[in-house]
Formats: sequence, C-alpha cells, structure tokens
Amino acid sequence: MKIKLENISMKFGDLYAVRNISLSVAKGEYLTVLGPSGCGKTTLIKVISGIWKPTEGRVTVDGEDVTDIPMEDRDTGYVFQNIALFPNMTIRDNVGYSPRVKDMAQDEVDDISKGHLELVKMFDRAGMFPSELSGGEQQKVAIARALASGSKMLMLDEPLSALDARVRVELRYEIRRLVKKLGITVLHVTHDQEEAMSVSDRIILMRAGGIQEVGTPLDMYRSPKSIFAAYFIGETNLMECTVSGKTRTGKITVRLRGGQAVRASKSDLEVGDPAVISVRPENVYAAKDGLKAEIIGVVFMGTYWKIRTLAETTDYIDYNVSSNDEVPKKGDRVYLVFNKKATKVFARPEEGLEEAIKLE
Amino acid sequence: MPEIILDGLRKSFGGCPAADGLSLKVNDGEYLCILGPTGSGKTTCLRMICGLTKPDSGRVLFDGTDVTDVPVSERKATMLSQAYSLFPPKTVYENVMFSPQIKEWDEETSKQLVKSMIKMVHMENKANSYPRELSGGQQQRTALARALASDSDILLLDEPLRALDARLRLELRQELRSLVKDMGLTAIHVTHDQDEALEMADRIAVIRKGRIVQIGTPMEVFQNPRTPFVANFVGRSNIFIGKISSVCEAFTEVMLGNGSLIRARRTDIPAGTDVAVAIKIGSTRIPIVEKPTEERPEPEQPQGFFRGRVERILYEGATVTIEVDVKDVGLVSSKLPNRRYDDYKAGDEVTVTWIPDKANVFEISPDGIDEELRLD
Amino acid sequence: MSVFKWINKVSNNERSRKAWFSFVCLVFVVLIVVPSIFVILKMLTEWGVVSEVFRDSVMMSTITGALRNSFSIAGIVTVIDVAVGVPMAWMMVRKQFRGKKYLDTLMDMPLAFPTAVLGISVVMFWGAPEGISIPGLGIVVSPYVMLVLLHIIFTYPYMVRSLSAILEQIEPNYETAAMTLSASRFTAVRTITLPLFRAGLVTGTILCFARSLSETGGTFIALQMMGVGSVFFTGPTFIAYMKAEYGVDAAMGSMILISVLMIILALILLVVVKLLIMRFKIPMKRVWPDFGRFVSRGAMPKLKDTVSVIFLAVIVLIPTFYIFTYLTQPMAEIDFGSLLYSTGISFLIAGVAVVFNIVFGIPIALYIARKRHTTSGKILDSLVNVPLIIPTTALGFSLALFWGSIYAGDSIGLLMVILGHIAFTFPLVVRNITGAVEEVDVSYEEVAITLGAKPFQAFSKVLMPIIKSSIIAGAILAFTRSLGETGATVAISDSVKTVPVYIMELIKADNYPEAAFCSIILIAICFMFMFALRMIINRGDRRA
Repeated sequence: MKIKLENISMKFGDLYAVRNISLSVAKGEYLTVLGPSGCGKTTLIKVISGIWKPTEGRVTVDGEDVTDIPMEDRDTGYVFQNIALFPNMTIRDNVGYSPRVKDMAQDEVDDISKGHLELVKMFDRAGMFPSELSGGEQQKVAIARALASGSKMLMLDEPLSALDARVRVELRYEIRRLVKKLGITVLHVTHDQEEAMSVSDRIILMRAGGIQEVGTPLDMYRSPKSIFAAYFIGETNLMECTVSGKTRTGKITVRLRGGQAVRASKSDLEVGDPAVISVRPENVYAAKDGLKAEIIGVVFMGTYWKIRTLAETTDYIDYNVSSNDEVPKKGDRVYLVFNKKATKVFARPEEGLEEAIKLE
Repeated sequence: MPEIILDGLRKSFGGCPAADGLSLKVNDGEYLCILGPTGSGKTTCLRMICGLTKPDSGRVLFDGTDVTDVPVSERKATMLSQAYSLFPPKTVYENVMFSPQIKEWDEETSKQLVKSMIKMVHMENKANSYPRELSGGQQQRTALARALASDSDILLLDEPLRALDARLRLELRQELRSLVKDMGLTAIHVTHDQDEALEMADRIAVIRKGRIVQIGTPMEVFQNPRTPFVANFVGRSNIFIGKISSVCEAFTEVMLGNGSLIRARRTDIPAGTDVAVAIKIGSTRIPIVEKPTEERPEPEQPQGFFRGRVERILYEGATVTIEVDVKDVGLVSSKLPNRRYDDYKAGDEVTVTWIPDKANVFEISPDGIDEELRLD
Repeated sequence: MSVFKWINKVSNNERSRKAWFSFVCLVFVVLIVVPSIFVILKMLTEWGVVSEVFRDSVMMSTITGALRNSFSIAGIVTVIDVAVGVPMAWMMVRKQFRGKKYLDTLMDMPLAFPTAVLGISVVMFWGAPEGISIPGLGIVVSPYVMLVLLHIIFTYPYMVRSLSAILEQIEPNYETAAMTLSASRFTAVRTITLPLFRAGLVTGTILCFARSLSETGGTFIALQMMGVGSVFFTGPTFIAYMKAEYGVDAAMGSMILISVLMIILALILLVVVKLLIMRFKIPMKRVWPDFGRFVSRGAMPKLKDTVSVIFLAVIVLIPTFYIFTYLTQPMAEIDFGSLLYSTGISFLIAGVAVVFNIVFGIPIALYIARKRHTTSGKILDSLVNVPLIIPTTALGFSLALFWGSIYAGDSIGLLMVILGHIAFTFPLVVRNITGAVEEVDVSYEEVAITLGAKPFQAFSKVLMPIIKSSIIAGAILAFTRSLGETGATVAISDSVKTVPVYIMELIKADNYPEAAFCSIILIAICFMFMFALRMIINRGDRRA
C-alpha cells in the first residue's frame, strides 16, 4: 500500500493539531513518526486511518482518494497505546473479530484467527481473556488482531510505551521482523528516539504540528539538518560559538565562548555568523592537549562510562569511555578534542538555543 | 540520613506473594534503585517502607529502631508517586506549602522554605499555577519540591520518570539524582528501566517475585550477574544452553547443542553439568574479516566462538546492533560502536567473539531456563 | 481549633479509627437497617392477625391485585426506560452537539418535582379529570396506563444517569478499535459496548424498578383524580388507604402482610434481575454487515436521536410542566398559614436527615469506595442499598412498628418521620459520595500521609476539597427527594403534615386549584435547590 498525504491539516476548535502536512509512504516501508508530547503525531495517524476526518487536505492510498471513506471501510490496522483488547472476549475471538464482522463462515474465522495467533506465537493462549496476559503479550495479540483484518497497512500508536523498558526492547525487534516478513506498510508513532532509530526505514521528526525533518535513521543521526533533530535524536553536546574562519573547500573553524578555536566540518555559514556546534559524546575524546575541562561526574552505563565535564567555556560536555579502558575520577582535569568530521555546525537560532530545543 | 533495614518482610495479596522474605539494607544517604519487572513486588516494598502497606510478617528498621508499627505520618518517609499526585485544587505554592502548614511550623520560616524549594526546582514562574496547567516535567519537579519541603529523611520514588517522554527522561535523570543528593536524603527509587537504574543508582537491588535477587553497585550487577535473569535484564544478553566440557585456569569450555564449543569465564561448576552461558550483547566483538592475501590464503579464525551470517544491521545512534544467524543456535546479537557500521553488510560471513571472562556461566534452575528469563 | 487537633491526634491511632468506624456502622445498622426490615420479624410475632387475612378471600384478592399492579407497572416502566434510555445515554456521552448542556439540565427536571405534583400534572395532561377547568388530552382513561406514563417520568432520569455513568467509564477506544477492524458503528456497539454495559444496566434497572415500586404520593393523587382511589390499588397506595380508612390497629394484619410481601418480592426479583442481566449473552455469532451499515449511516442515526429527543419531550417533559398552565388561571385562595407550616416541617425533616446522612454517610462511603473488593466492603455496600430497594411505604410502616414497639407514646411522630427520611435518603447520599471517592486516586491521600499529615488531615485537607461538590450534589438530591416523599411520611405518622401530604389532602378534598398553586410554589422552591446544585457542580467541574 502506498500512502500519500496532501496538505493535511487538522483543527480542534481554533487550534491546529497538525498543519499542512504532505508526505508519501512507500509500499512495505516502516516509517516512524517521532516527536515530543503534543506535537500532533497521533493526530496524523488517526487522520490516515480515518478515525478523524482532516479539516483540510487529501489522503490517498494506492492512488485512490480515501479522505471521505469511513474508517470501517478503510481496512487499516490500528494498534492503540492502551492496547484496547476487547475485555469481554477471549484471545481467539479478539483476533477473529474482524473476519467475523465481515460475516465470514465460522471455519474461515477460526483459520484466520489461528494463523495470526501463530504468527505472534500466542496460539497456546487462545482460550484466555486479555486480563490474564501480561502487557507485552496483550500487545502482540493486539497486533495479530489488527493484521487479521487482512490489512496491508498498520498504524502503531505508541504501541510500546505502556510496557516495561526491557520488554519494549524485545518487542520492538519482534514487531519489525514480523511486519517485514509480511511486507506490510507501517506507521509507528513514538516519543522514544531509541525505539525509532532501531526499527524504522525512515523517521519523520515532528514538532508543534509540523514536520521538522525526514530521513533515514543513519542520516538523521549523522547529519541532522536542524539543532532540534540533533538534540532530540541521540545525545549530543551543543555549544554556542561563532564562525571564525572558512577554507576554500568550505570547512570552517569556530570560536567557542571561551575563545578556543575548533575545526569543524563543511558548512554554509560565513565568517562572523553566530552558530551552535553539535558534537556527539562518542566523538569527543580525552587527549594530551585541547579544550580544558573538569570532570564532574562519572556514570557507569554498562558497556561504557559516561563522563560529564564542565569545560572552560562553561559548557557541559559529555564523552564516553569504553568499560575496558581506564576511567578518570571525579575532579580530574582533562583536555578534550572533537572528531572534526563528526561535528555539525548550525546557525544560532534567533529565539535562543534553549527555546530551539525545548521539549515541552 | 537514616539507615534502613528491611528484615524478612512478607506480604501476600489474596494468596499471591508480593514480598516473600524480603531483606535489604539501605545505607545512610544512599541512592538505591530497586529494579525489577512489572509485578515483581517493587512497589509493595516501597509501600512497606513508608507504612502504607503493613507487612504480614517481618520488620522495618530506621537507624536501628523498629518502625513497623509507627504510623505513616510519623515515619518521615515521603513518597513521590508515579502520577505525582499533586493536589488538584491547590496551586504549586500551596502544594509545596502542604507539609509546613499541617505541621504548623512558624509562618515566616515556612514561607522562606517553600520559596527556596520552588526556586531550587526552577518553578518560580509557575508558583501560582494549578497542577493541570503544568507539563509532565513541571509536575514532577513540583512533586519533588513538595516532598523536599516536608522535612523527611527518606525519599521514596515510585517510577518517578515513567510518565514522561523518553527524551525528557534522559534529561531529568541526573537532575533528579543531584537534587536528592544535595539534600542529603536516603533515597529509594523503584524502576523497571535498567538504563535509568545504572545511571542513577549508588547501588542497584534487582527484585523478582518478591525477593531481592542481587544487590550491588551498577558495575557489579552488570558485570557479575548472579542469575541468568539478572544477566539478561540488566543489559540484553545472548543466552546459550549447553554442557560444561572442561574447566581450566583461564576459561571454561561449554559444549552447545549443535556440538560447537564456546569459551566462558572460569567457574566452580563441575564438568558435565547443564549450564546457561550469558554474554552481554555489548561485550561481543565481530572482528573485521581479513581478506585472504598471497601470504595468508587462509586467514586465521579465532577458535571457540561462533561463525554465522550477518542477518541484519540496525543503526541505533551511538551504537549499531548486528544480528548474526548462527546455524543450529539462532540469532546472536552484537552491539558495537556506530563507527563500525560501514564495516559489515548483510550476508557477510563473520565470527562473533568475546573475552571469555565476560561470559558468565550459570547452573540451570529447576524451573527451566525459559521461566528464569521471563521478562513479564 | 483544639477539637480538630484532638481529632487529628486520635485519627493517627489505628485502634481509635476502628472504634469510630464501628460506632458509625452500629448507628447505621440500629437506626436504618434493622427498623427497615423489622416488619418481617413482626409478621412472625403477629402471625395470628396475619393468618386471619389469609382466610379473608376478598382481602387477599385485593392484596394480590395491588401487588400485581405494582410489580407489573414497575416492570413495564423499567423495560421502556431501558429501551429509550440506552440511545439517550449514548447520545449524551459520546456526542457533542449544541444545546447539550440544556438537554442535560432538562433531563434532571422531573427529579426536582415532588411526585405528588407530577401526579396532578400528568393526569391533567393525559386525562380529563372532573373539576379542573384546564382541558387535557383526555386520551388515557385506564388508570393502569396512566400510572405507567406517570412512573416513566420520574424513573427516566435515574435510568439515563446510571447508564451514562457507566458509558463514560467504558473506554471509547474499544469502539474505535472495532471500527478500524471493519465493524459498523451498530455492530461495534452491539458486540463490544453493550456487553461491557451490564453493570450500568443492573444499577439503572434496580433504581428504576425500586423507585416505581415504592412511589406513593403521585400514584395516590393520580388514582384519586381519576376517581378510582378506592377500587384500584398499588401496593403502597393500598397501605396508605388502609391506614387512612381503618387505622393501623384494625388493618394490622393486611398491612403487615402486604409490606412483607413487597419487601421480599422486591428483594427476590432484584436478585433475579441482576443474575439474568449478568448471565444474558448478547448473540455474537451472527453479524449482518449490510444491516449494520444501513443503521449506522445516513439518516438512521439522526432518526434514532430525533426519536429519543421527541420521547423526552412528549412523554417526560410536557406532562411534567403541564401544571404550569394553572398560572393562566386566576390565583386560588391559599391557606398560607398551613402551607407555610407544612413547608417548615418539610424543610426541618429534610435538613436534619441530610445533615445526619452526611456525617454518618461519609465514613461508610469511604469504606465502600476503598474496600469494594473485600467481603466486608461488599456486605456493607449491599446493606446500604437495602433501604433503596424496599418500597418506602413498607419501610415507613416497618419503622413505625419498630419504634412503636420500643416507645409507646405518640409524641415522637416527627422524630420517627425524620428517622424514616434518614433511612431512605441514606443510600442516595452514600452512593453519590462513594462514586466521587472512587474517582479520586487514593494516592492523593497516601502522599499526604507520607508528607506527615494525620489521616484526618489527609481527609479534610486533601480529599474533602476534591469531592466537596459531589457531597453537596448528593445532599441536594437527598434533600429534594425527602421534600417530595409521601409514602413513608404517611405510613409513619398521621399528624406530621409535610407539603406533599398537605397537597394530597387538598386533592382528597377536591380542592384542585389550591393544590395546583401550592404545587407550583413547592416546585419553585425545589428549582432553587436544583439550580444551586448545577452551579456548584459546574464550579467543581471547572476546577477539576
């Protein structure tokens, strides 16, 4: 199923939940809609699945305009954040609900129900009621139920956020394997960037009702186009600076708050422009010489240590040390250098850095 | 401030044990995380400490004094609940003022205290707002200020970050910890999120089925798990089932079902025992395949590990996860730094290796390994 | 101040909390539960006079006829209420439309009318009683049909309210989920929402059935106005009639018998209803997609809504307000002295009853709300609802027998009436507060206690401000209900003349205009209360 949105807007009262969004999703693509609370991401998939009718704009599926088709005729699988398995029915009947309401014969209903439960490895629980299952199991059944409608597209509305962190991690890989095997087009809404990174073919980063940036996880992480994307996806150190030099090839040098010069990658900015430099913790190293910093925290993160420092520029800079290496102590002084190829320099936003990365 | 001791606490609800001989010692001024899956009894544990739930048997001691029968309001142990429970008809200021007011402290002192607490959590601008007007993070900070203004010695945090967005959670971990540390409180923080526990705790107590399975510093719990469950819960692990074939000074050799031998940490378990081997996915390596050259037509392969085909490479930000399909064993995952992303592609023949010392060996419990590893 | 300090301190001790709660339960059982069902015990001790009634075949056939009328009317009324209440409740909860707020208020209107007044108004509208100068439709001549029409009016709001309350708790995502799985709205509601709906159906049915069964004043007046007051009976009017015609002592046997029969039959029937509804399976195997689609789209849903609104208007609202047509007539001569006196008595009774119920109802409501799943919670919950199910006339009669057997003098008529009103309004207050407390997350109080608040402070400083509006709402509901009650008052005492009793006597004396104007004045007073209720609830909503 190829899905296309054209200038979709959705208004509640006088407020736009989403505004003027155009987007196309390829057949079999796993697309994640990522963003902080209240950015309009759930509204977007509710419009696509027909639960809400957009105030303006068109939705087409495989070229056909479905904007005015009611949700029960859309055949869109939808998985809710609070799971919403029908509490009055067994697992088998839940999964068999869609074929049943389409008035299929009993054998057919049973076959479809069985097949889909086997798909998510839950057939041995078929006779149980939803309340007897754990959260993760319920969510698997909910996915089976959505797929049993024969739908070739699946909307996942924060499907993992009600679950334990550890279960979330297992289940996200399982979901991805399943839908890829079946060749289903998926739109997955989440506020968890880690989740988005690990399952998607492409990520749509939303903010305040609009699309901030679209790209593959790799692009989004390595070369974000905005400060917000750099900050929201993965962890990064952001430092205010000014462009102080530019080579003929476009590589620039910036001056940090304390006056230290740092070489950075290519940028369109000109000398003198106020800027913000972004360096991810894994691209910061302790060296013999560089930016002076004092270690203010050392945290064990499992496979690595997260070292938090206060640099002489008054910026907080984090960097990582492998758990096999020697770990510095709190209060130690270090010199930090950046992997210049992995730095990104952005024009300093007019509203200020704080405002540009505000989450709530 | 006080040291907390839980001594053999038992509590069951309608026959289901939520605490099954729970014993624990929390040091003075410590930040302890109780980590466990849903339904493991972690909230019950917290409620027994502050007295909201009365244990069926066992004792709770604060600084050596038995407080099991002391009323909740006298215990000086404050709860910061999951939903924050800010009193809806009161403003931020009035919420923080709650404790000073009911304890009838001197009015001027109270006002000063409340103001300083609100300032400390950066809520000065919102002092006159009602809870419903606040965002999740602001509510959380207000609840914290309210708890800090109550003159309590113990702070009990019940999944304090769960209701927040993932990104915000990351931001608030350090902030929350340092505020609590600055006040010098003894804090017990309940969570199901192992990253949160690793990052915030002085020590982690892993709880399961109403019992503490292991307690130790984050590093101890991560590197020397006591059971396969802990190994897989605190950081994902690859788990292999096999039989010990030999134990030597440097490592143990375990024979898997498919006949391959793998190396693991030295153990006291005798040869011939059925065991589970757990290796953190982040402790595995995938050496770059050497191209055959003129001098060495057959590049040397490390012995005692797995060979398989790269099934999938996931770019996850700072790390990449590589899933390798090993014949007769299944998928083996490996988490590597992101700079290794370009070194592999799907279909490559690779070897997954690890330092034998990082692979822990466990005897299989009588319930079976699947039950042992159940996450929920 | 020092009193509160003392309460705070005492409340911190678990033993004293238990002692206080035991005391409340004792008061509840001794003052409310036991007197309510005392008549059953009385039947055993007075078996002689009761068995005489069995031998009197004329009397027996009157009694069985009255019971048949009562139960069949209650049954028909309940079925109609369910049929029209479900779509109405659905519309009120799931739909947004202009004027919803007004419709909501209008729906509660019949609750503000004392049933005695409704009796007059309904007969005026549907029938054409003699002695009234205002023309009615005159199409209903059967007293049976008239009573059904009358009872629908004051049971309808209870049904819609209980159904709405449950519907609001049912996750709307279930319906949406069903619809994304290709179910039409009709199929989704039928297969998902309705089966989850049973609890609401049970409460609604019980409330309506019990209310219809126990209504006395309006029924009595309606029958009187139709001129069949001494030949057509329902259970409660029979008791009232016997008492007025023959006196308690002479009619003791038959009054005990019919009271006991009503109480026992009501209890049995309600248990059966509960089991039936909970067991009943809505057929799921077959679906009719095309039919479902037909009724879920286009004109059908609009038609359904229109019918619901028309029913509300024609069957419920217009007959209710018809009495106001009297305002076009010249003002009747009113004995203001008697009216004022009756009003004073009514307010005194209602006021004392409500205050008592709040003081003793809150602890019980708290207990039920927080311990609903425990055995003791369930027992207490059932006990609280006993006075709700027992017909008020039987309850009043039972109560009078109980206190009469303890204290022989007759100077305690007023006190006994107050106790009677306490008994049947108690469940209303407790149910309202229980509902409100259940909505409030218990963690508010728990956090307050861990912050150092004593249990009483946690209640008064944290819970109380949140549920205040619900307490007041429950109080006003109980107050209007007490103001409008006739049956219990009549059954307990002859000398206590509350306003509805006063109106009933005017009707008996065929003094319709004065009765009508007194009614209008009474309604005006009740409206002021309802209005206050709305204001308070709205204020509460805005804050929460």
